[in-house]
Amino acid sequence: MLTPPFELHIPSTLDEACSMAAMLVESGEEFDWIAGGTDLLPNYKWHINTKPHVISLANVSGLDNISTNEIGCMARLHDLAEGGNCHPLVALAAGKVASSLIRRNATLGGNLCLDTRCFWFNQTEEWRSSIDWCHKCDCNTGSDCRVIPNQNELCVATYQGDIAPTLMVLGATAHLIGPNGIRKVAMDEFYQLDGMTRNILEKGEFLLKVTLPSGVEDWIGSYQKLRVRESWDFPEAGVAAAWKKGDRSTLRVATTALESIPRMHNEEVAKSDGNIALLSDEIFRSVKPVNNTSLPPRYRRNMVKVLVKRACEE
Amino acid sequence: MVGEEHVSMLPQAPTKIWKAEVNGRQNEILAPSNAILLDVLRDKVGTLGVKRGCDMGTCGCCTVMIDGVPRLSCLTMAFEVQDSKITTVEGLSEGAHLAPIQQCFAEHGGSQCGFCTPGFLIVSQALLNENKSPTDQEVSCAIEGNLCRCTGYQQIIESIQAAAAINRGDVEPAKPASEAHSNPHPSGPN
Amino acid sequence: MTDGYRQQPGKGSDVRVDGKRVAGKLRFNPPGSGGSRPEMKERDLDFIPELEGGNEAQPAGSHLHDKYRTGTTVGKRTPLVDANAKVTGQAWYGDDVRLPNEIIGRILRSPHHYAKVISIDTSKAEALPGVLAVSTGEDAPQKFGVLPVTKDEHAMAVEKVRHVGDLVACVAAVDEATAREAVSLIKVEYEILDAIHDPKKGLLDVDEPIHWRGKYHIGSTNVQKRVFQEFGDRSKLDQSSATHHGKWKFMGVNHGFTEPHAVVAHWDSNGRLQLYTPQQVPHYAHRALATVLDVPMHQVNVIRTYVGGGFGGKSDPFPHEMCAAILARKAGRPVRITFDREEVFWVNRGRHPSHIEVEMYADDDGRISGFEIDALIDGGGFASFGHVTSYYNGVLATAPYELGSFHYTGARVWTNKPASGAMRGHGAVNTRCAIEVGLDDMADQLQVDPIDLRLANLLPPHSKTITGFRITSNGMRQALNRVREGSGWDEKFRKMPLGKGIGMGCGFFISGSGLPIHWDPNNFPHATVHIQIDMDGGVTVHTGAADIGQGSNTAVAQVVAEVLALPIEMIHVRSHESDTSPVDLGSYSSRVTFMNANAAISAALEIREELLNSASNILEIPVEKLILNDRRIYSKRNPSEGVSYLEALHKSQEDKGALIASGAYRTPPMGGVHKGAAAGLAPAYSFSAYVAEVEVDVETGLIKCTDVWAAHDCGKALNPLAVEGQIIGSCHMGLGQVLSEQMVYGRTGHLQNPNLLDYKIPSVHEMPNVTPIIIESCDPEGPFGAKEAGEGPLLPILPAVVNAVYDAIGIRVNDLPLTPDKIWSAITKKMKLEGIDDPQNLPPPRLDFSELQEKLAARSSEHNDRDVRRQRAEDTEPYINGVLFGFDPNTPPEEQDGDWKISVKPTSEQLDNLRLAGSAWSKIEQRKMEDGK
Repeated sequence: MLTPPFELHIPSTLDEACSMAAMLVESGEEFDWIAGGTDLLPNYKWHINTKPHVISLANVSGLDNISTNEIGCMARLHDLAEGGNCHPLVALAAGKVASSLIRRNATLGGNLCLDTRCFWFNQTEEWRSSIDWCHKCDCNTGSDCRVIPNQNELCVATYQGDIAPTLMVLGATAHLIGPNGIRKVAMDEFYQLDGMTRNILEKGEFLLKVTLPSGVEDWIGSYQKLRVRESWDFPEAGVAAAWKKGDRSTLRVATTALESIPRMHNEEVAKSDGNIALLSDEIFRSVKPVNNTSLPPRYRRNMVKVLVKRACEE
Repeated sequence: MVGEEHVSMLPQAPTKIWKAEVNGRQNEILAPSNAILLDVLRDKVGTLGVKRGCDMGTCGCCTVMIDGVPRLSCLTMAFEVQDSKITTVEGLSEGAHLAPIQQCFAEHGGSQCGFCTPGFLIVSQALLNENKSPTDQEVSCAIEGNLCRCTGYQQIIESIQAAAAINRGDVEPAKPASEAHSNPHPSGPN
Repeated sequence: MTDGYRQQPGKGSDVRVDGKRVAGKLRFNPPGSGGSRPEMKERDLDFIPELEGGNEAQPAGSHLHDKYRTGTTVGKRTPLVDANAKVTGQAWYGDDVRLPNEIIGRILRSPHHYAKVISIDTSKAEALPGVLAVSTGEDAPQKFGVLPVTKDEHAMAVEKVRHVGDLVACVAAVDEATAREAVSLIKVEYEILDAIHDPKKGLLDVDEPIHWRGKYHIGSTNVQKRVFQEFGDRSKLDQSSATHHGKWKFMGVNHGFTEPHAVVAHWDSNGRLQLYTPQQVPHYAHRALATVLDVPMHQVNVIRTYVGGGFGGKSDPFPHEMCAAILARKAGRPVRITFDREEVFWVNRGRHPSHIEVEMYADDDGRISGFEIDALIDGGGFASFGHVTSYYNGVLATAPYELGSFHYTGARVWTNKPASGAMRGHGAVNTRCAIEVGLDDMADQLQVDPIDLRLANLLPPHSKTITGFRITSNGMRQALNRVREGSGWDEKFRKMPLGKGIGMGCGFFISGSGLPIHWDPNNFPHATVHIQIDMDGGVTVHTGAADIGQGSNTAVAQVVAEVLALPIEMIHVRSHESDTSPVDLGSYSSRVTFMNANAAISAALEIREELLNSASNILEIPVEKLILNDRRIYSKRNPSEGVSYLEALHKSQEDKGALIASGAYRTPPMGGVHKGAAAGLAPAYSFSAYVAEVEVDVETGLIKCTDVWAAHDCGKALNPLAVEGQIIGSCHMGLGQVLSEQMVYGRTGHLQNPNLLDYKIPSVHEMPNVTPIIIESCDPEGPFGAKEAGEGPLLPILPAVVNAVYDAIGIRVNDLPLTPDKIWSAITKKMKLEGIDDPQNLPPPRLDFSELQEKLAARSSEHNDRDVRRQRAEDTEPYINGVLFGFDPNTPPEEQDGDWKISVKPTSEQLDNLRLAGSAWSKIEQRKMEDGK
């Protein structure tokens, strides 16, 4: 299947990449970044939000470093999962992404910036024409949202990345680079509603790397992923939990695949005061999945209780 | 009916020269900037053993080895792997001789309809290059990105383990049930 | 001994009287000989039947073909003859056919579920530079369809589109980008019609039925086919000791073959169509192409490429095949059309989404007094194989058990979805699941072991089912015993802790369809095989059987090699082209090994006779005293007294050249005379029994199948490697249907998951450890005793898993697939109902045997002796369904019991009491309305 035409730019240094982006931004040309391509290319083949230019980060050197405290955006998920160099919780989540083959291509940056998903949206152009289009990608048509009908203000497509919640609970920081230089944000502030906005990246910016605080090696935790098949499938719900070894009062919990962004649950943790049953109930109440993935939202929501319980098990 | 939203396929992206070594042979090919490796390999290089099953990374039929790493060619931009060494299923055998992995897939029922076989062979070969004695669990993890609808995977795992044993030198390659070069005019017992 | 080969013709010694050699008469090796294996191997007695003097045990008795066994390949683990092409990437599938000057075709598809096509404007597409041909339905008004009685398809829409993805127009252009762009430039004006997605609504009268069958149309509904069958005496069903009522919903599933459809059409320099297509059934495509393109069949050459998986999904003649041919004719260049995965789902032909209701009854002796089945199946937009599917959903449930009565009502309706069709286990899978789960439930009610309940109710070998199917060999009993033993059933069943379960199910399937789909010309064989041997000794076998990966080429090569005692490398199977292959009806209904191998054996026997006669002639030893073994024919008494295969061959070729033989297979006459009696008739049937073990996560509802013991009776495993591959592969496909696969049509009727990410085929991690167990019941009419192994093995895995889930958590869910949300909902509901607060406290089911258990065990032991005698032909008395209920086996039950019915139409009282699908009978056919009835 062909993608619509675009020009691929392959810079070999970070400076070159940034100036390319700046130039395109300046000239008003739309473009996308491509890292591993496992998310972008299927969408492009289906004519979803294609742009006339694509800048590849594949050959920019120095972006694929992996250590406990820093992971470059081009670190392949295979290397995260198998390399033994990053935090075990990140490795665990990375190893659960899609399939071993996808993980050879897929990168940390791509996974964190994963486009939101929806079965009305992730379809070919031909298919979308049969539902009179989707307002997430066929914006010019003025069509309505098919998940929540009779509105085209809000997009409720689901964020189904596995790694983001683990980085959130480990207190990671995202470093974004763009025409105006580098800025840093906490991982949980990187994401921004709605399903179309997805995150705070501005025109020409991309996620350069993620850093984890010093002392993170003392943190342990778990990531629980709900899926039908142990390969290929995106999470239908995902819960990450982490705490400092020996100190349960530091417990942090984040969820994914339940809404348009992954989310920390600090309030719920505080409210439940160490009672995991209470915590799972609180989080269950706070998430509101919609019907746009494989399994029904009621079930996914209820499973949050089980996943929280299992993720917090010592 | 709301508006139409068709993304035009024309004019096609500007072309550039794509260079890579495929199965030991240097290729220089004119391809559009947005070319995907799978299309280049099938339509320009002519390695039709690389198969298109799903075109979105969920079947593994298009897997090729790029600098020794198994990668999905349907999700790889051709120009990102310029100047790399690519091995497709056509490049696995040594001259006229099948590689052990090929021979074992044939002999242990690892291939039925054969369409997914090229992808499985590349992934298996890559695994055996890195790990001489994989456990069944490790084999399963290596092939989890490949879809087979015929075999139920069991005979594929057996094939891979049989090839591993041959590679390690633990066993002699099995003699084919029917040897080539049968003389139709054989001598009888004396 | 032979005179050998000399440089000059003429007889006599090559040594003169004076002792000098004669220069011109030197001996030399025969032309065509050579090679590095110059010695004959010894006979492989391990693969020669014991009754023929070998070591191969024959527990099921002797077989007609025993005397042709040479110990060459039959019964040996044989790699596929085309395996090397597949492992080197040389196998050429549909999209691998690249002809010089080819152009690319694309299809414009309907964005509407159901609409009238008012106008199509192709002018912009035609004007696009690089576009070489555009075609619409106007170019091909002829209807086609796989079954001659239900031709309802067009190459492209004529008048109406019937589902999203239905073909509207097509274009061919210099490259893919131009073709895709051109398709988007075609403007179509539609008038949207009211679409139907729910098959239940298909039973109602509507203004605009999806198809119109004229005087045969049923009311003005969307019912395409309805079936009513009643056999036996149902009057005593209300006195039953156990009854089971199951209302089932089965989602549609797709074949999920890895190779998307692709076709290349090329009109050659003589104006003949060369069509390359991955077809399971090239012959029916051949017929349809000739019809639609309006050319005689002899001007079409259908070339079957390698087929990247079929499973029934590549057995209809397809509209895109017509499109490619039409475009190629218009453009004057070869046209290649390759599908995207989404298009594969749009052409579908997968298993029918179904609503099935079963009521089952058992009496106080633990006999099965009745099966009542009602099946409403959702056909989608076209008939496809649906006429047959409508019958199969009922009639293939009439064995392996002896029934007191059988009642089936079925209906297939058109809906505005991609067409359903034939898929592995055609029509039998869903109903089988429902009744095997029903038996499990009845065993629970009777407090007996479900395996013993089955063992005490089996039809014996050489018997007749209640609807008159002729059962020959029957390995059901051995299959049940072997899985019971292998799985450790008696230690596990109803004894495992919560969350772990074991369950079983059986299967029964046709081995070839008794009637071919096309009956013309009359008495035409089902399969024909030509064998040709020229002077080099290589054996070329021409067959039209389509190798779709199941190994039909290998099976044919094997049986020919076996009969002629030649190494398999000397057998060359040519099966790709209709020009050179005799007509074969194709790879469906598990007919190929049975029919094609039988045809091949009969051709090979002709050759064998010629070779033996020649050898006898040369050796002056009578034919009966000769033996064939590894490229030689020699005296039984003295192996050194013999001739090589080549010598015998060349002797046979004197004065005529190449040896040519033709063999054919036709089914024997059989079956009843009632309407629909032919549906489900087969020359043999396969039987299978599986035990599955599962783990259920009671908190999430996720099911993991861990182990399967899979026993399948394939008569005789010609190639155990291939049979095991079929069994394990069937488990995988069946597991997909029972656990995760479904075609999801959402609230708007759109197919939500037309891709391999959201259509969830099990990965390697979901695959249990399968122990294949081959049962060999030696079918009297099968080639060397063989029956099918390709489809039957799929059936039992579904009920085995459903029953195992019940064993694990005490809950039956009658809605496939058993996705975790459904299991979780059922668990939650049960907890509420029984006041349980933690799913870990759910009670797993337990079993205390009733008195009946011993009675059943005694009966099955008696039946075991009966079956062994019948299998070995020591008891050749007739046996009809009903003997268990006291009928005389020599008289049809309807002549013995006044209440015994054979009826294929409801009576007027019955009309008031019909179930869901049965209600299709409340409508009147158009022609009867005209009669004023």
